[in-house]
Amino acid sequence: MSEYGPTSSTTCSPAQNRRSQSSSSTTSTTSSTTESQPRPLKPLTPSQRAFLSSALRVNQAGELAATLIYTAQTPPIVAREPHLGPLMRHMYDQEAGHLTTFNQLIAKHRVRPTALYPLWSVLATGLGWSTAVLGREAAMACTEAVETEIGGHYNAQIRQLLEMVAEWEADGYAVGSEFTDLIDTLRRIRDEELEHLDHAINHDAKKAQPYWLLTSAIRAGCRGAIWVSEKV
Amino acid sequence: MRPQALSRTAASAAAGASWLLTPRAAWTRTPAATPSTSSSITSTSTTTRRAQPNLIQPTSRAYHAYTHPAPPPPFSPIETAILSAAYTHVPTHGFSRTSLALGARSAGYLDISTNLLPDGVFSLIKYHLLSQRELLSTTPLPPSPPLSSRVELLTFTRLLANAPVLPHLQSALAIMAQPSYIPTSLAELAVLADEILYLAGDVAVDPTWYTKRASLSAIYAASELFMTNDSSTGFRDTRAFLGRRLGEAEELGGAVRSVGEWVGFNAKAGVNVLRSWGAPI
Amino acid sequence: MAARTLLRRALPSMRSASSLRQSSPFSSSTLLQSRAASSSSSSPSSSSSAIPDYAIPDPSRPTHFGYETVTEAEKIERVAGVFTSVAESYDRMNDLMSFGWHRIWKDHFVASLNPGFSPLTSGPDPRAPQHILDIAGGTGDIGFRMLHTAHTLNGNPDVRVTISDINPAMLTVGKQRSTQLPASQQAALSFVEANAEDLTRTKPLSSTSTTATATDSHNTSSIPSNSIDLYTVAFGIRNFSNIPAALREAHRVLKPGGVFACLEFSKVDKHPLLNTLYKSWSFGAIPLIGQLVAGDRDSYQYLVESIERFPSQEAFRDMIVDAGFIVGGDGFEDLTGGVAAIHKGMKPRV
Repeated sequence: MSEYGPTSSTTCSPAQNRRSQSSSSTTSTTSSTTESQPRPLKPLTPSQRAFLSSALRVNQAGELAATLIYTAQTPPIVAREPHLGPLMRHMYDQEAGHLTTFNQLIAKHRVRPTALYPLWSVLATGLGWSTAVLGREAAMACTEAVETEIGGHYNAQIRQLLEMVAEWEADGYAVGSEFTDLIDTLRRIRDEELEHLDHAINHDAKKAQPYWLLTSAIRAGCRGAIWVSEKV
Repeated sequence: MRPQALSRTAASAAAGASWLLTPRAAWTRTPAATPSTSSSITSTSTTTRRAQPNLIQPTSRAYHAYTHPAPPPPFSPIETAILSAAYTHVPTHGFSRTSLALGARSAGYLDISTNLLPDGVFSLIKYHLLSQRELLSTTPLPPSPPLSSRVELLTFTRLLANAPVLPHLQSALAIMAQPSYIPTSLAELAVLADEILYLAGDVAVDPTWYTKRASLSAIYAASELFMTNDSSTGFRDTRAFLGRRLGEAEELGGAVRSVGEWVGFNAKAGVNVLRSWGAPI
Repeated sequence: MAARTLLRRALPSMRSASSLRQSSPFSSSTLLQSRAASSSSSSPSSSSSAIPDYAIPDPSRPTHFGYETVTEAEKIERVAGVFTSVAESYDRMNDLMSFGWHRIWKDHFVASLNPGFSPLTSGPDPRAPQHILDIAGGTGDIGFRMLHTAHTLNGNPDVRVTISDINPAMLTVGKQRSTQLPASQQAALSFVEANAEDLTRTKPLSSTSTTATATDSHNTSSIPSNSIDLYTVAFGIRNFSNIPAALREAHRVLKPGGVFACLEFSKVDKHPLLNTLYKSWSFGAIPLIGQLVAGDRDSYQYLVESIERFPSQEAFRDMIVDAGFIVGGDGFEDLTGGVAAIHKGMKPRV
């Protein structure tokens, strides 16, 4: 069985030669074209398209859930602590803006929306309402947990997009404006989500009882929902 | 709304139908295009050097890019040459091996060359479905009627594209209904419904996205069957049939929406009553 | 089995490590040639015209015989040995390997190729006589099916079939069997002895082996370039010493638009459970059965090893493309989950 090695070694080498030569020749041609004419754009691979559609789909589902959580939280919270009204309003407005953004992107890029739209609606409303009924601290802990997960999720997406862009640039291709725009949009939205996280912590999220149970349960739920939304 | 829809249509027309008109050199699977192929059987047992090609992907409605070029067309230039030539023989010889062989001949190939097409006659049917769907994007749409009438117009345009091959449509449907082809056929039907709603300018991304596409698929399939038995001039009866079905679907959708609104209104009212009683909710 | 898996995982590193050491025993001029050849074909577009050196048969180049490493010349001899010894029981061997499915596969293979199908149109008969070359078709399994489909089912008596094999023993079995065929089909059939890597030297099968040696020198002929409509090879190509060379030779003899079609045992990797069953059957049972049934363990051991060493569907597809063919779709069709696969390629018009 040790005869495996020698066979392949010598028969392999010409092909490897050929391959390395052809790749070097392509890089040299592309580098020469970069100076004279605009760099070409590369078609998306099936896996890139799959990533983009699942990313947009899960983002839409997430923002839908966020708007519904705030919608459900606002009345009970504001009924008890009216001074939180403007803050809740502000956070809701931002989430509604995000949802509009992703609704438009989904329609524009012809991505299928999540099939579990009704389920997410019910779950998000239920989560928002029940934490709000538990009190301000619980509601803020919910916000903290959700926004932590969402922030990490957006970061992962941005990272993957940047990798995609870096790969194109390394191969001498240009990057379409829709991707630079998308990365900017995601960065802006991520920053706003993290701002909500700060608000939640400033409003005693950590004082919720039992804090660890509430946040870890909600975070696990978020991760599960993200995982499912990426698929269906 | 209107300018957006127009530019979308134009962009889609440019991106969509181009593979039909100009065979793109990017998708030749000749040695020139794939320099990194394997050399000897011993070097290949461990790795596959190239990703699986996605030649046949009527389901590819994943992320439509605008600034980046379209993904490779579904058929290679030689396949397109044989299929487009064969397609001209379909009105006389149907979706058959005869049409394929005649097409291969007029494209300058041999009768045996039709073996290049992995699915044989089904490849020809797929060519019909894909090319007629892509051509939909060139349909001139009236300036500003409601969404429903644009959907109706686009669907009827697609149905009319079946007219030249209508006598052979039943047999084509029979082939499409073969177990191994059912997934592709259904996927293509779904993509057609998606295309029609997209071209019509529908931007809803809530659960109606699914119901609209499902009902339009069903209506299209029913109308297509109706059309195979329609002998009225200009397929007037088919158009009337289509109009009735679309109307029914809209009524049904309206009814469902009304029920949903009614339930939502009552739930909200109930919660408000509880709140007015002082419940902390 | 576990040791084998480990070995296979370690394979790439072993290859690279051994490439330095092992290059010296084989003539250093080969290496120089290979560099020269690869630099001359550095631009991808010229690769179809310039033959890469791995596709030029070289009797001293190492290849594999089952899991052993031998030279190409040795492999030709040893494969000949295997098939001379199993010629009589060849069908039984295939039945064992495939649970009898090889008959269904062959039927499907021939039906999907649909040889002889040539629709008539009004005006002059446009049909050119089809010439089918069945390589490694010694016992006639494919050739006879081709004739039946073309002559009987498609009503096209203009189809000729040439059955070629490197092994006269296998051809003799086929020749004997062909006497059962209708006379018209026998007339359209010819048997030649040839090495698939070089079809410029073929010799017709003689009735006795003694005259074969006598006519050896002066009775050879060549299969001309651009003369074949359909080139088939069923369960044969994995025994070739130099597959790239055979693929290029196929490309040469085929007409533009002609089709290369190959039926061969392949990889079941896509179905892990079936794969496990299949592997334990082929490695565990078949050599044993070979010993019991045919009294020839080594030949059957070679059979399963050669299947294991044959490239995957995708890799073989890439080799076909590399030889200048174009393929449609994935370029292959799996049969019975990949136990066997059909590969097709078409020679493009220039």
